[in-house]
Amino acid sequence: MATLTVEIVTPETALWRGEANALVARSSDGDFTILPQHTETVGDIVAGVVRVQTNEGELGFAVHGGYFQVGPGDNEGETRATVLAGVAERTSEIDVARAQAAKERLEAELAAMTKGDAENHPNFYLAQSALERAELRLRAAAH
Amino acid sequence: MAGGQERNLRRRIKTVNATRKITKAMELIAASQITRSQARITANRPFRDGMRRIILEAAKGDPAAAERLLAQPETVNAALVLVIAGDRGLSGAYNSSVLRAGERLVNTLRAQGTTVRIVAVGKKAAPYFRFRGFDVEQSFIGFADRPNFADARVVASTVAAPYIDAEVQQVFLVSTRFLSAGTQSVETEQLLPLSVPEAPVEVQTKLKGYTEFEPEVEQLLTYLAPRALESEIFSALLEGAASFHTSQQRAMAAATENADELGQNLTRIMNRARQDSITTEIMEIVGGAEALRSGK
Repeated sequence: MATLTVEIVTPETALWRGEANALVARSSDGDFTILPQHTETVGDIVAGVVRVQTNEGELGFAVHGGYFQVGPGDNEGETRATVLAGVAERTSEIDVARAQAAKERLEAELAAMTKGDAENHPNFYLAQSALERAELRLRAAAH
Repeated sequence: MAGGQERNLRRRIKTVNATRKITKAMELIAASQITRSQARITANRPFRDGMRRIILEAAKGDPAAAERLLAQPETVNAALVLVIAGDRGLSGAYNSSVLRAGERLVNTLRAQGTTVRIVAVGKKAAPYFRFRGFDVEQSFIGFADRPNFADARVVASTVAAPYIDAEVQQVFLVSTRFLSAGTQSVETEQLLPLSVPEAPVEVQTKLKGYTEFEPEVEQLLTYLAPRALESEIFSALLEGAASFHTSQQRAMAAATENADELGQNLTRIMNRARQDSITTEIMEIVGGAEALRSGK
């Protein structure tokens, strides 16, 4: 029996692990879908929503950039897909109000920074990537 | 006077008991931290292993690109040493053994004519090196007890910057590895150039030997290498924290035991002193009464 085991892991925790029918995500080369028996693959994942289709329905994960690897699993016929992300979370667990507040706050901060010499502001890139994360959370939660 | 001695002893016993209470509390706190930090190591394992697997496959997929990016330098003029110690003392030999290993590495590298730059994690590390006349380029304080991934990223970018600018050719890591609750050992390893992990045999035989890459390997490795460095440093920080708590728990348990023993001994001495003074007093009274009677 061909099966697919999907793991979504971050440095702090193994977010999710289980059997799935398909894994859908986007790499810098474009969208891709991993099915059981997929060939061995290594690649990157751009910030976006990673979807895992299981028998119980579809699960969404907001992945803020990462890598994936597909290879043989421990059992016969098992394919294992591992998603490694620095930051990731279940879309169902996203705190929309908090993300919205963060987005507004960061937009205001960035606007204040752009008045001066934005690129040289020590927190410019930090704020920008935090804003990107907040926006992704909002987009992912709306799914 | 005998009474003064007794008072003195009583005071010392009080001090010993107060110290015992503190060491006992620290022991219990450390014990609870061990469990927590161990759980964090376990939670980090899948990520660390996954990262190593990806690097291994990428390196195997395009050996030429891997060679360019990960090859050992021919000449090493300058190296950077990252030492991970603790923020706090009272933890037995935890800090001193990792710091001594770091000092040894620095000395060996210097003896080979290499310029050495030092980056330290933990409040206890920088003063140690500065006292011995070594310059510490940067010292990170405040997260050695409970590191999170963001801390690891900051450390990683600090040690990677001189390597990327070709100011140093090698980066070493000296840290305490948490092998099990009973064993921790100080290890020195090379962080950069990134070493390709050895694959367990069963993994090697399972791989079909043909792997697809998107994007291509060289580009992938360029982005992947810093992430792998972060992951390795994060694991080392987590294991260092767990080792610290284990070491502290053991040291504090020993200190509590010592305090127990000391308190017991002092109590015995005090009891004897009290007994002595009572005996002397009785003798004096009896002697006085005798004298009075015979005086009649």
